Amino acid sequence: MTYSSSLAMGRSRFSGRNQNSVVFRAPVRKLGPISNTITLIVLACLLGLLYLTQVTKTNTFGYQISALQQQQANLQSQHQNLEVSSARLQSLDRAQNSTAAKGLVPVSPSGTAQP
Amino acid sequence: MALPNTNNASATIKRVRFWYGLLTIVLVVFGIRLFFLQVVDYSHYHAAALSDQLKQYQIPADRGIIEAQDGSNVVPIVLNQKLYTLYADPVYIKHPNQVAAKIVPVIGGNANQYAGLMHTKNTRYVILAKKLSPSQNQRVLALRIPGIGTQGQDYRVYPEGSLASQVLGFVDGNGKGQYGIEQALNKQLSGKAGQVKAVTDVNGVPLPATKGNIEQPPVNGDTVVTTLDLPMQAQMEKILQQEYKKTKSQGISALIMDPDTGQIKAMANYPTYDPSNYQNVTNPAVFQNGAVTDAIEPGSSMKTLTTSAALDQGVIQPNSSFYDPAHWVINGFNITDIAQDGGAREQNIASILALSLNTGATWMLMQMSDPGHTQITAKGINAWHNYMVNHFRLGQPTGIEQGYESAGYVPPANMNDPSIDLRYANTSFGQGVQLTALQLGAALSSVLNGGTYYQPTLVSETIKASGQTQVNKPKVVEKHTVGPNIGKELIPLMQNVVTTYHNEGFSYMSFPSNYIVGGKTGTAQVAKPTGGYYKNTYNGTYVGFVGGDKPQYVIVVFNIKPGIPGYAGSYAGQPVFSDLAHMLIDNSYVTPKTSP
Repeated sequence: MTYSSSLAMGRSRFSGRNQNSVVFRAPVRKLGPISNTITLIVLACLLGLLYLTQVTKTNTFGYQISALQQQQANLQSQHQNLEVSSARLQSLDRAQNSTAAKGLVPVSPSGTAQP
Repeated sequence: MALPNTNNASATIKRVRFWYGLLTIVLVVFGIRLFFLQVVDYSHYHAAALSDQLKQYQIPADRGIIEAQDGSNVVPIVLNQKLYTLYADPVYIKHPNQVAAKIVPVIGGNANQYAGLMHTKNTRYVILAKKLSPSQNQRVLALRIPGIGTQGQDYRVYPEGSLASQVLGFVDGNGKGQYGIEQALNKQLSGKAGQVKAVTDVNGVPLPATKGNIEQPPVNGDTVVTTLDLPMQAQMEKILQQEYKKTKSQGISALIMDPDTGQIKAMANYPTYDPSNYQNVTNPAVFQNGAVTDAIEPGSSMKTLTTSAALDQGVIQPNSSFYDPAHWVINGFNITDIAQDGGAREQNIASILALSLNTGATWMLMQMSDPGHTQITAKGINAWHNYMVNHFRLGQPTGIEQGYESAGYVPPANMNDPSIDLRYANTSFGQGVQLTALQLGAALSSVLNGGTYYQPTLVSETIKASGQTQVNKPKVVEKHTVGPNIGKELIPLMQNVVTTYHNEGFSYMSFPSNYIVGGKTGTAQVAKPTGGYYKNTYNGTYVGFVGGDKPQYVIVVFNIKPGIPGYAGSYAGQPVFSDLAHMLIDNSYVTPKTSP
């Protein structure tokens, strides 16, 4: 015997044949059409709000990505500038005209060493 | 207990029903309107919204840089840099003189000129200065002058100035490579632009929560590492500049190449130009790398190839001799030697090269025709044509990574041509045939290295944006230009030329005995565009080698129309060769002989 059938048997003792039974039930409260509509609208608004929150949150990442990309571009630009400066500082012309080079004593080879 | 007022209840219900109905009608109206907006007119509004919100633009790829060899290092010779254009909107500038005075300390130049530009009427955009450096850009913007702004633009920058400018080429205003490597390898250097297609906000920032956004990053161009040796290149350019003035030439081209790989170690021309200011060049001819683009009749330096071809066919030996009548009559024309060569007498292969005998070169062609005889036949012409075109690969571009490479010209072996004998006799000593300095150098290299023609190249390796390196291995184009021993036979003959000149008083043609140096002069008549040759106008050429146990470098010099007396090859081409050979030896580029 299941638990529910045992309950049913128990109840039958109070409602035998030719016996009236009175059941006291709480009145069913139904939502009216306006309440239904308003509830639906509110729910739809909540869902819309939730969607907008998520979209806004996702789009915020777009700004972060954009800022990071801008930062990356700036750093790359700085890197390029430094590379150019470095190459210019090491250029043959600069080395030749440097103070250090000008301080060197010119020596003309008097001849090439023979074996 | 009072009964409920049914009238009031009924009125309430009616009121509720009325508002309910009204609300329903409003919602239905809204719904219908939304249906029309979102379904019926979807395409129209979708397109209208996208046209405003959807942004599509290209992300330019960084152009690849170009590098050169510097000892064991590789150094950049072409880089990219964002420079800035300074502009003014005259409408916003109320006091041009004051604004000009503010910007002059930052960008230099003339304040009055800037003020004048800012006074320009009927325009909203006046360029005040170009190519401002990043620091100048920041300083100008920090002034916060209404109506003054800057725009960034990528430029090629050249840390070594005009060094190797004609080999490198430049990039024009449209971002396209022009001349030299920039043109030949434009596709590799350009890379591939990226693409952004996205719904953006009002500032153009892509909104990630949108379906169908596309962001394809750019693929930057390859880095090209050249075979050029930077210090060698710099010294070559200095030598060319000096000799250009000394020899009063219209131009000089020279190259130094490795005969065992085809790699170009130095290649230059004078006059030259500054690639960062290419737009100021008045004579576009200086953009050309003459060593590759200008084919000329080389004159007697061609005899090195004629000798090689004859030796390879076995129709002459290095010690062969012949009776030189001092002139041949071919197709009714005289081919003669110069008076200093001593007239008719016994000559040999060494003297053909040392004295530069045109009759000797013609005799070699005769031997290709019919050994032991002195006539030119179809057999000899076809054989020599075959050597020029198929063995030495003349008359066709070498395929070097340069823009506008010339194919040169080899006359067809057309036996129906009544002057074909004379035409081909001329080619044997370098007239009536046109070569670039590179073609001559590559052909001689193949003889000296034992018969392998390597494709001349300026690229050592390329590095992709991903970091993947692709080494440019020497490419064998022809495995047997001549037999493996022909170079060994030619080397002493060319060394003899150097010794002969030294003994004749060209003191600068003296080289230490632990190095081998050989060469050949060429003094070529210059063809008129209308036919025939100019009188008293010559080109001087020189082709030679420097090495220790074997030739390590092949040097070619083309000196265009030198303005000094004497044979152009000897007095204008040869000194350049000598300077270059001494430079290679003095700077330890050449490994001396292992045994004396």
